[in-house]
Amino acid sequence: MVKKIEFESYKEMPIRPMTLGSMMWNLTGSWRNVRPLYDFKTSPCILGCPTNENIQRYIYLVTEGRYEEAWKTIIESNPMPAVTGRVCFHPCMTKCTRKDYDEAVDINAIERSLGDMGLENGGWMEKSKAVKKEKVAVAGSGPAGLSCAFYLARQGYPVTLFERDKALGGVLRWGIPEYRLSNELLDRVIKQILDSGPVEVKAGVSVGTDVSMDQLEKKYDAVFLGLGLMSSRGLGMDGEDEDGIEPGLDFLRKVNSGERVDPGAKVVVVGGGNTAMDVARCALRAGSEVTVAYRRTRNEMPAIAEEIEEAEKEGVAFHFLAAPKELVRRGGKLVRVIFQKMELGEPDDSGRRRPVPVEGETIEMEVDRLFTAIGEQADLEGIESTVETDWDLIKTSDETGATSNPKIFAGGDVVTGAASVVEAIAAGRKAAERIGRMFAGEPEPEVEEPKTVGIEDMNTDYFTRSKRNLVPRISASEAKTGFSEIKTGYTREQLASEAERCFSCGVCNFCDNCWVYCPDVAIARHEDEYEFLYDYCKGCLICVFECPCNAISIREEGK
Amino acid sequence: MKKVIMGNHAVSYGVRASEVKVISAYPITPQTHVVELLSEMCANGEIDAKFIKVESEHSAMAACVGASAAGSRAFTATSAQGLLLMHEMLHWAVGARLPIVLANINRAVGPPWSIWTDQNDSLSQRDVGWLQIYCESNQETQDTVPQAFKIAEELQMPVMLVMDAFFLSHTYEIVDMIEKEQVREFLPPYKPDIKIDTADQHSFGNLAGPDHYMELRYMIQKAMDRGLDVIKRVDSEFEEMFGRGYGLIEPYRCDDAETILVTSGTVASTTRVVIDELRDEGVRVGSLKIRVFRPFPIEDVFEVLSKAKKVAVIDRNISFGAHGIFYQEIKSALYGRTDIPIIGYIAGLGGRDITPKVIREIADKAIGDEQPERYINWIGVKI
Repeated sequence: MVKKIEFESYKEMPIRPMTLGSMMWNLTGSWRNVRPLYDFKTSPCILGCPTNENIQRYIYLVTEGRYEEAWKTIIESNPMPAVTGRVCFHPCMTKCTRKDYDEAVDINAIERSLGDMGLENGGWMEKSKAVKKEKVAVAGSGPAGLSCAFYLARQGYPVTLFERDKALGGVLRWGIPEYRLSNELLDRVIKQILDSGPVEVKAGVSVGTDVSMDQLEKKYDAVFLGLGLMSSRGLGMDGEDEDGIEPGLDFLRKVNSGERVDPGAKVVVVGGGNTAMDVARCALRAGSEVTVAYRRTRNEMPAIAEEIEEAEKEGVAFHFLAAPKELVRRGGKLVRVIFQKMELGEPDDSGRRRPVPVEGETIEMEVDRLFTAIGEQADLEGIESTVETDWDLIKTSDETGATSNPKIFAGGDVVTGAASVVEAIAAGRKAAERIGRMFAGEPEPEVEEPKTVGIEDMNTDYFTRSKRNLVPRISASEAKTGFSEIKTGYTREQLASEAERCFSCGVCNFCDNCWVYCPDVAIARHEDEYEFLYDYCKGCLICVFECPCNAISIREEGK
Repeated sequence: MKKVIMGNHAVSYGVRASEVKVISAYPITPQTHVVELLSEMCANGEIDAKFIKVESEHSAMAACVGASAAGSRAFTATSAQGLLLMHEMLHWAVGARLPIVLANINRAVGPPWSIWTDQNDSLSQRDVGWLQIYCESNQETQDTVPQAFKIAEELQMPVMLVMDAFFLSHTYEIVDMIEKEQVREFLPPYKPDIKIDTADQHSFGNLAGPDHYMELRYMIQKAMDRGLDVIKRVDSEFEEMFGRGYGLIEPYRCDDAETILVTSGTVASTTRVVIDELRDEGVRVGSLKIRVFRPFPIEDVFEVLSKAKKVAVIDRNISFGAHGIFYQEIKSALYGRTDIPIIGYIAGLGGRDITPKVIREIADKAIGDEQPERYINWIGVKI
């Protein structure tokens, strides 16, 4: 029987052609042959960061003005953003998708701003207590050791932190000049880390000599070695132990401890890494005329590009394709160095072209002091017998720092050779997590290859081209006269503006596009997420194409 | 405050004063200034509205349909080809009973390509169901915008405001400006009883079988029937508040006129000059401006014209195969009065100027013409 809709008079009819009841029973989602789904990928910057800071997330939080949450997001994987925000070589920015559009987002500057806020707002750091019984000894208070101690303490394990110097910080203290990272700031960072959890400090105690590995293994349930590299490699030349030659690290150590130094009128620094740049710029500040001699060319220099540029602006001269060959002394005093002229040959293991001598061609330079900065080495006295080593470095089986000894873990430069602060932080954290799993009897997790995105995956129609916000800095002429910090950091406005440049690659940043454009109103917007209402989604995929961030993927139905 | 502004901008200022929430438009000569100024007003915050750029007039009207259905006051403007491209959506706006206001700047339809005025674009939308109001001056244009919204929202019907290209759109005149603070009293914010609302879900524009389609059509006609009274009332409310009213029609010196010239748009102003001239010569003529074309004010028109001995209709348009379109409407209004000859004149197509001389020629012809009334009188055709 047909039941008709009857109206007594036209006044009962709505004037609009519309149904009188709800049509929600009509599940038009059955028309769909493909479904969109929120499928967040890992932003390339996060994969570029050795400690995998959740960069996309904290930049999003900055755009929302949620600074405390942003800072806490960093702290999940790096306990010292105020440090890395100043000294990191920021491989995240090399991976930034935006560099394929205009200029990479200045993640490093954003991190620094947040790091500084975290220091100013002491309450942001959550305190942890010793709730576990297993004790861990951490040797070395550089970035690896501090990071390991921090993440162990956060898990509730009591930590004893050994440092052979009186002051903590390791390479952060004696290796990085004041104009990049001041001791005052470093003190605050270390204090914040130590205050946050059950960490006992034993300074002035050298592991391996003052306290033996045996004693540590007996007293502690695990030992982490974050010893760093303590001495400069020699040049392997005759007379290098005599007058006029000084290891670059020794010089940096003196400068950083506030000792008065007088390197002489003419200084040559041999090397092309960050130590070479630091030594050169400190010598410049001590009043010397400084030349950096490097055996390859500028392109092969391992130093951070920005450091090289700043050194050059301040007046450091560069001499490329030159390797020291002979030291000339007069009356026992170094007066000249003869350099062998080099050229670039076939690529070596590092992929860089190997320098080879050009026979018979030399250059002479007048020199009062020559600093060596061609690499550093570890000091494993009293340790080499307890773990397997590879040359002068500790051998580990994977990135969690497991060594040949099941109770001993290692990370940082003492494992990798001269690397970076952030890599040491990552190693410390990963070892702490590994040690925690070991104590808890948990298996090592299987790591899946993360899905990521590139510029071709982004809907760039939604992004306006823009220049990077330049970090304010003092002029080179002012910088070279003292040790004031060169970069002064973003203003709050610059911070907000730079954060807005983030593409949020592969991750939803709540722009509402999917929600707005869905022609079937088949997306629900909740407090902190969207939800597809598959009963009504017809699978038109407009949301997929209008998502600027590639946070939505497609799956075929019925397969 | 009085300002010297162009006709197109009179529309924009009228829209600003009406506190429209969504403007969606595609530029076309001679309409462009209207939306150009509106986009600036939206950008600088003078209007708190969403300005939607679209790829065609069809989409412009579609966006207005969506916005209006969701309960927003929506506006667009166009001309000629643009209005024709909107055609399907114009029907939609009527069928869905959406109070959208559209300003159409009368432009001749191509080919041959023309940017100049005539009324065939808007008059070819005659049977779609939009109310149509033909304006004569910049002042009237500005004032008609809030009136149109008020009428539209009360009737739940879309309203088309029509004006001549260039003769009005690009002509500068003194306009007494209306401001939103004042207009808000006359035209309160739009709050429809029924709108698209995710909290109260219905299907809109759905299928209606033979059982109900006709009733919905009947209701549209009922709204049109009510329209004449509503337009009159809204106009007098406006007059009370602002001191200016325009009526459904505007008779000029008709009381004792033997011959009445029927006009619309800017031609009405020129015609009044000629009427004065003829009156000075002792000829008993008058003119009647048709302001509201849909709904057609049949009784008001009858009231004025039935006293005349002869009626001449000037059409700046033609319904090919029939006659001038206003001519047909007037004939229909005077049905039964076989004693009054009604003579139709086609003039000024494609923007050809209708000067006082042309109107004088029409008046002279009309007064002395013995031609059968069905005959189409083409004015100024050179072949």
